Amino acid sequence: MDKFFQLLDRYLIPVMTRMSEQRHLRAVRDGIISTIPLIIVGSFFLIIAFPPIPALAEAVKPYAGKILLPFRLTMGLMALYACHSIGYYLARSYKLDGVSGGVLAMAAFLLTSVPLTFEDKGLALSMEGLGGGGMFVAIVMAIFAVEVLRFTKERKLIIKMPEGVPDSVARSFEALIPAAVIIPAVWVLRDVVGFDIQRFVTELFQPLVMAGNTLGGILAPVIIITLLWATGIHGDSVVGTVARPVWLVLLDQNIAAAAAGQPIPNIAPEPFFQWFVWIGGSGATIGLVLLMLRSKSPYLRSMGRATFLPGVCNINEPVIFGVPVMLNPLLFVPFLLGPVLIATLTYFTMQLGLVTKPYILVPWTLPAPIGAYLATGGDWRAIVLVIVNIIIVTVLYYPFFQAYERKMLREEAGAIQEETK
Amino acid sequence: MNVLLVCSGGMSSAIVVKAIQSEAGKKGLAMNVKSIGAGELREQLKTGWDVVLVAPQVRHRLAEFQEAAAESGVPVALIPPQGYSPLGGAVVIAEIQKIVK
Repeated sequence: MDKFFQLLDRYLIPVMTRMSEQRHLRAVRDGIISTIPLIIVGSFFLIIAFPPIPALAEAVKPYAGKILLPFRLTMGLMALYACHSIGYYLARSYKLDGVSGGVLAMAAFLLTSVPLTFEDKGLALSMEGLGGGGMFVAIVMAIFAVEVLRFTKERKLIIKMPEGVPDSVARSFEALIPAAVIIPAVWVLRDVVGFDIQRFVTELFQPLVMAGNTLGGILAPVIIITLLWATGIHGDSVVGTVARPVWLVLLDQNIAAAAAGQPIPNIAPEPFFQWFVWIGGSGATIGLVLLMLRSKSPYLRSMGRATFLPGVCNINEPVIFGVPVMLNPLLFVPFLLGPVLIATLTYFTMQLGLVTKPYILVPWTLPAPIGAYLATGGDWRAIVLVIVNIIIVTVLYYPFFQAYERKMLREEAGAIQEETK
Repeated sequence: MNVLLVCSGGMSSAIVVKAIQSEAGKKGLAMNVKSIGAGELREQLKTGWDVVLVAPQVRHRLAEFQEAAAESGVPVALIPPQGYSPLGGAVVIAEIQKIVK
């Protein structure tokens, strides 16, 4: 077992962490994370517009269009918000002006859209490409814009302001040349040549999005995240860096279907993992915490008490480092197998339509049954599934926990003997 | 002494902050401890800290944190895994005392 952990440490961890610390991916991660408050609050309006109680739903129906507006202008424009933040963070990582990076990224992204003309209303920009579905386009355009910014700066292709010009003014002129490159370049490609950048990029990443929604696409992140946590590395943040854009596209498709009153298409946006797999935190450690509460070992019992409330809120670092689960061969099997088992079960349960597929993003620190209920737009069967999943992992942890408890009891007895000697 | 704890989102380190504070209280040490998420580090460093402690689960980002702290000359250290728990206060305080004398 030690060999196995050594192998992880030598091969999986460096590759995964290096990937997650790659400059562009890091900017994408930080940029997308900065939009999450908008997604959470925005998609809450979706629940209000379509409340889970039929009588209530009937009552708000006439106002649904109006209630949905905050949702449409936050979630519905998610890629636009993210594009600005990605540009900002990427520019900052090069020690360039963040705001210039953000503004240039946004311009490059918006130029991939073509406004429509309405005779009575003037120009209108279609929102379709600016929501989660356009996320990959936003990422590509933000990277393009900031790389141009960096290139011109490195080649000293900047307009130097004389001494005494205020810093902020001088900085805004630094973005002049890059803007004069980016804007015509995208315009020529999109509007003169007529190359549909949005469609091309979206179709390029389509296989990735589709793979993310299969059972394999669910189990791969589950296994990698668990393996990383087993060596004490923050698996979600590492894997999320790469997978979150895919999860957001899946979420966006679900949310669009929900807003249109159609059946939800995708199983695997992030809330799937959050509420049905990572119950009590990664590794579904809630099962272990419940068992520790009544442990005969004083250490494990006090650990159980100290980690119960954080566990309810899905924070389990205290379990991972305190028990510890990290590099613990006795607890490794259920730590890996539990999430794989309940992820598979949840996948098929949703595939069969027994529980609504998740489409709402809710803050991850809510207790899992509540989170699952809200994430599925108020499906009570989601609560039942979460409870079944908790029972499964608890049963699975039981024999391994017992073995570890015996070891702890022996050590604790040994420590007392040492002291009385 | 001012101690800044960094983890991914500032959630789990809040639990360790409590553990450090209660242990410091027992030992009669004056300690101001605060937990933050990785994204806030650069801003926080401007406000005067004696030491930055990095949670074990984000140890792969240590270089990035060190670079950020180098500008203000604040020492950065890893929290040993066994200290990163509600019962790990003593371990972390020993670590702090090793760095800041």
